[in-house]
Amino acid sequence: MDFPPVRVQRQTLSGVVAMGLGVVALIAIASMPFWASQGLIRDVVELCCYIAVAQMWNLLAGYAGLVSVGQQAFIGVSAYMMFVMAQLWGINPFIAVVLAMIAPALLAIPTYGLLHRLDGPYFAIGTWVIAEVLRLGTSVFGYVNGGAGMSLRVMTGYSPMERAIGVSLLCALMLLVTVGGSYWLLRSRYGLALIAMRDNPVAAASQGVNVGRLRFLIWVAAAVGTGLAGAIYFMAQLRITPPSAYDPSWANIAIFIVMVGGLGSLEGVLIGALIYFFAERWFGEYGATYMVVLGLLTVFMALFARGGLWGLICKVVDAPWFPTRRRLMEDPT
Amino acid sequence: MQWLDGLVQGVLLGGLYAQYALGMALMFGVMRVVNITHGDLMILLALVGISLASTFSLGPWSVLVVLVALGGIIGIILQRLILNRVVGADPLPSLIATFGLSIALQNAMLQVWSADTRSLPSDGLAQASFQLGPLFVGVLPVIVLITATVLTAALAATMQYTRFGRSLRAAAADVEAAAMTGIDPKAVYAGATALAVGILGFAAVFQSMRSTVSPADGAFQLIYAFEAVIIGGMGSIWGAFIGAMVLGISQSIGFRIDPGFGILAGHLVFLTILALRPQGILGKG
Repeated sequence: MDFPPVRVQRQTLSGVVAMGLGVVALIAIASMPFWASQGLIRDVVELCCYIAVAQMWNLLAGYAGLVSVGQQAFIGVSAYMMFVMAQLWGINPFIAVVLAMIAPALLAIPTYGLLHRLDGPYFAIGTWVIAEVLRLGTSVFGYVNGGAGMSLRVMTGYSPMERAIGVSLLCALMLLVTVGGSYWLLRSRYGLALIAMRDNPVAAASQGVNVGRLRFLIWVAAAVGTGLAGAIYFMAQLRITPPSAYDPSWANIAIFIVMVGGLGSLEGVLIGALIYFFAERWFGEYGATYMVVLGLLTVFMALFARGGLWGLICKVVDAPWFPTRRRLMEDPT
Repeated sequence: MQWLDGLVQGVLLGGLYAQYALGMALMFGVMRVVNITHGDLMILLALVGISLASTFSLGPWSVLVVLVALGGIIGIILQRLILNRVVGADPLPSLIATFGLSIALQNAMLQVWSADTRSLPSDGLAQASFQLGPLFVGVLPVIVLITATVLTAALAATMQYTRFGRSLRAAAADVEAAAMTGIDPKAVYAGATALAVGILGFAAVFQSMRSTVSPADGAFQLIYAFEAVIIGGMGSIWGAFIGAMVLGISQSIGFRIDPGFGILAGHLVFLTILALRPQGILGKG
């Protein structure tokens, strides 16, 4: 039998354009101290942390089928590790941010061992218990000053310019690792397995995907990515307390961004994060009413528009920013 | 002696937790759904009860009747409007929908009732106690424990012997096969949720009589209910009761070791059971 000559098309024009824009954005973020005001840098750092935390949650819920409402456990534990390394052990704080990633990784291993025994929805509440245990445990742990929290006084040894350069470079690194890393992962061999697992874990397992091991690896990777955002966020805050470090609103933010933007897509996270960031600035003053609307919007998306805004956009135009599909093209002969 | 006292107080506290946990075990057993608003609904009922009591000067027992009925109605509405659309093999939609609803509900309650802590006047019942050997035991906690035991036994008997209970168990085992034998899954689901939230009416009255409630408390009650269900063994009604006792005792003993350690001790016992006996105390396999 003769097969027509075919080739696999993996990149699209929109993907090339988006890649170019992405590189420009990364360079712009890394060079912020040379063109942006202090206030703008602070805002961009916050937005980048939202994107990173939401993308890690997206990887878990959108691909690995692991719904977590306790990602603040990894935020807090790595932020505290960074404070301990920098403030108590005298390590350079910018290096401590990277070294502190050992803490969420080490925490992720036993928590997965415990929680993977729980059935779907119970897994989610189990993650919340872990975060609560860490919050309560940190509050009575004298070494990190218990409930009173810590200040990052070592940062006074650096000039504002040095701090801005450090934070901006770390932010660019964080986006490269979380968004770029996810993109790379989804285009790799593992990406095929992940997408198969997202669509149907049983069928994926029957095709030779080691679902259990892949879930575990994604869980640890997401813990580290979330932790990196936590360490950078609290480095910018300069102060940490157990209730702020293990704040459940991190889970709210991640869930809102991903559900509104679009579950299971990288584009959705960027859209959702921008919406959340501006909604908070424009409507945050309405406090509780704003939160009611946010909550109801999440309910609405879960009930009626599970693909989020990106899912709706995809129905109209097919121009992915991060193409992960493999398309079989027939060459004309 | 303080350890014996801790044990007795723990069992009595467990009576309250059992009333949270029964509904969660029922809903998970029948629908494989965890309702994140479980704790928030209890707080909502409690706040409504407190407002009713002060507006119409009702006694606690009249409030109880109203709240249980109201809980049943809220359960049916919740099922019809939201849960029926998200029940399924994928846990994500139901979790996200109830998670969003929980945020909305907490903040709406904050708007209506403000962040103040409130409690239900109990006609002196909350202060009454009697002496049992060397220990002083509160009258209200004993009533709570008896109510919890009766509720658990009644729910277990309903599941075992009534037609409704059979349809619940059939839907839990295999919803499609149950539908083929003439059971309407939506009616069964609505019944289960109405029962679960109705039981929260009891919990709401007792919680607001023995201590205070405020709009943000719901999350903690959800976690206690969840821990009780897992400790006892998923899907088992008496398991939820026993799990609630274990949790109550752990917190009470932990609190006597150090006041900052009470809640944490409950969490640690939960994690230990999860590590050593993941199927729970009454679980099989």
